[in-house]
Amino acid sequence: MIDVKDLVFSYQKQKETLHGLTFSVADGEIFGFLGPNGSGKSTTQKILTGILRGYNGEVHLFEKPLECQQKDFREKTGVLFELPYLYTNLSPLDNLNYFAGFYPAKRCRNIHELLEMLEFKKDFLKKPVSSCSKGMRQRVSMARALLNNPDLLFLDEPTSGLDPQGAVLFRNIIEKERKKGTTIFLTTHNMTDADLLCDRVAFIADGEIRVIDSPKNLKEKNSSHLTEITYLYKGKRNTALIETPELKAGIPFPYDEIVSIHSGEPTLEDIFIHYTGRGLS
Amino acid sequence: MWREFFALLKKDFKLMLSGRFFLLMTGSLILYSCYINFIYAGLDQNIYPVYLYDPLCVHNETSSELIKVESSEELQAQTGDGYAVGIDVSGKTPDISMISSGISSIDQYRAAYAMSLLSSKNHTAAEIIGTDNREMKSRREITCELLFFELAAVGFLGIASVLFKEKQMGIIRVHGVLPVGKTVFILSKLLLFLICDLVFSLLLTVINLGVSEGFAVLPYILLQTGILSLIMALTGFSCAILLRDFKQFSLLYLVLAIFITTPVFLAGQTGTARGWINYHPMYHLFMAMKNAYRGIPSENGIYYAICGLTIVLLSGLVRRTLIREMAKEG
Repeated sequence: MIDVKDLVFSYQKQKETLHGLTFSVADGEIFGFLGPNGSGKSTTQKILTGILRGYNGEVHLFEKPLECQQKDFREKTGVLFELPYLYTNLSPLDNLNYFAGFYPAKRCRNIHELLEMLEFKKDFLKKPVSSCSKGMRQRVSMARALLNNPDLLFLDEPTSGLDPQGAVLFRNIIEKERKKGTTIFLTTHNMTDADLLCDRVAFIADGEIRVIDSPKNLKEKNSSHLTEITYLYKGKRNTALIETPELKAGIPFPYDEIVSIHSGEPTLEDIFIHYTGRGLS
Repeated sequence: MWREFFALLKKDFKLMLSGRFFLLMTGSLILYSCYINFIYAGLDQNIYPVYLYDPLCVHNETSSELIKVESSEELQAQTGDGYAVGIDVSGKTPDISMISSGISSIDQYRAAYAMSLLSSKNHTAAEIIGTDNREMKSRREITCELLFFELAAVGFLGIASVLFKEKQMGIIRVHGVLPVGKTVFILSKLLLFLICDLVFSLLLTVINLGVSEGFAVLPYILLQTGILSLIMALTGFSCAILLRDFKQFSLLYLVLAIFITTPVFLAGQTGTARGWINYHPMYHLFMAMKNAYRGIPSENGIYYAICGLTIVLLSGLVRRTLIREMAKEG
């Protein structure tokens, strides 16, 4: 679906923002693009969505070079921006009807069904967007991204501004889209989203991709393979570190009660710091 | 393409409605028409009062408009307002006494007019043929000025206010990923403002010049309105995108409205034109509009070529700035 080879981009002469990115995203895959602020995430997404030109390297989408893409490319893609970007003086319905006007009728989804799926409050359907909460605006923005039933969906921080319940709902919707065969390019800071949703993630820092792999493989590769066991023995609380394969034969020390068992598996954030030498904030 | 174009038109129309643009246009139309009909059209300056001091009663067959005085002191007192003219015929030749207006040509007219009253008992008035009288001349002049100001300043502000609203909402960036061309995005706005300006100039002209006089000059006026409207809308468009906030824009607006249009009005209306005014682009647009109100179409090909080129160049600038704005950070 997406093929990027040696992508280089500079906003100013002599100062490269992207230093030769190479990656590909398969059809129906959720690909996470993770990096701190200023790492080149948004620049990459802008190039892929066709907003930013003047890059060097090869970018293929839908098996066609980006520069040869026609209007139908935009009809097949959906973009969720980090901020909702809506006409605040118009109602959510008017906003969505306006954006639906740009897509062929056969591609458009039912606006009411979409908003219902996103659990949008019906009382606000005809009120100006300015009266909606941040979470409700984010729902309308997500509805806009899904409006044309996209084959390729770009999501930039989809769960930002949402309460935990809203974040779960959005993750479920993203999963549903993947099941339908939609390819999703997810740009995020949120490691939970990346861990729970992505088939593969790319860590980008200073305009370079440091590693690309599935969250599961990354955790396995970077695991210490140690298990930490906290236990009680003869009234005393002890902690032991055991090589995980050794546990096959059972716990190799005497104990009265096991308090907790923790695997030494690192979090995605730990792995990110390991590869980039810095945190995400 | 048409489906997207009409979607954009509908949305821009809604934005203009919510921005009370039409209310502003209607308010301007009513205000201007009231001013023209109830104040400006009725304004007239009385002809200079002329006083005569003729102690020997040499001039018996003078015009009835001459006011006789008894002494030279009285003559000096009556002409001390800087407007009246005095004739002293106590000597061998008549002496004209008046305070200079500061413009020698006007002083000459005043003196010639005063002397003409000495020579004829029945002063004849010029005959006005047709409807193009003093009042109609005033109506044409002031309607032209107000329309020019409305298009140059208010139209410029109108499109910018709509764009600033969209810019603040960040919505321009969203259009970068929609299946709609940048040209269509620009054209929808331009067309809407062009239609508004054409309707406004039609109404202003017909209401203030009358139906027959108004429609007689309307084709020329609509042509000049179209040119000015496009140039100002494109300038407003690019300024609104290039400038960071409305504060900066207001400053530019002030410069444009006052320091650019004022010399144009002065040069175009008072005849105090200096050589440099010919290099002022707005002056040529104003004079073309003024001639259109007199029913004289501009036949200067260079004028239309430069206008066309300006519109093309401004369109290119607008497209470029729009692409840059779409790629900006959120």
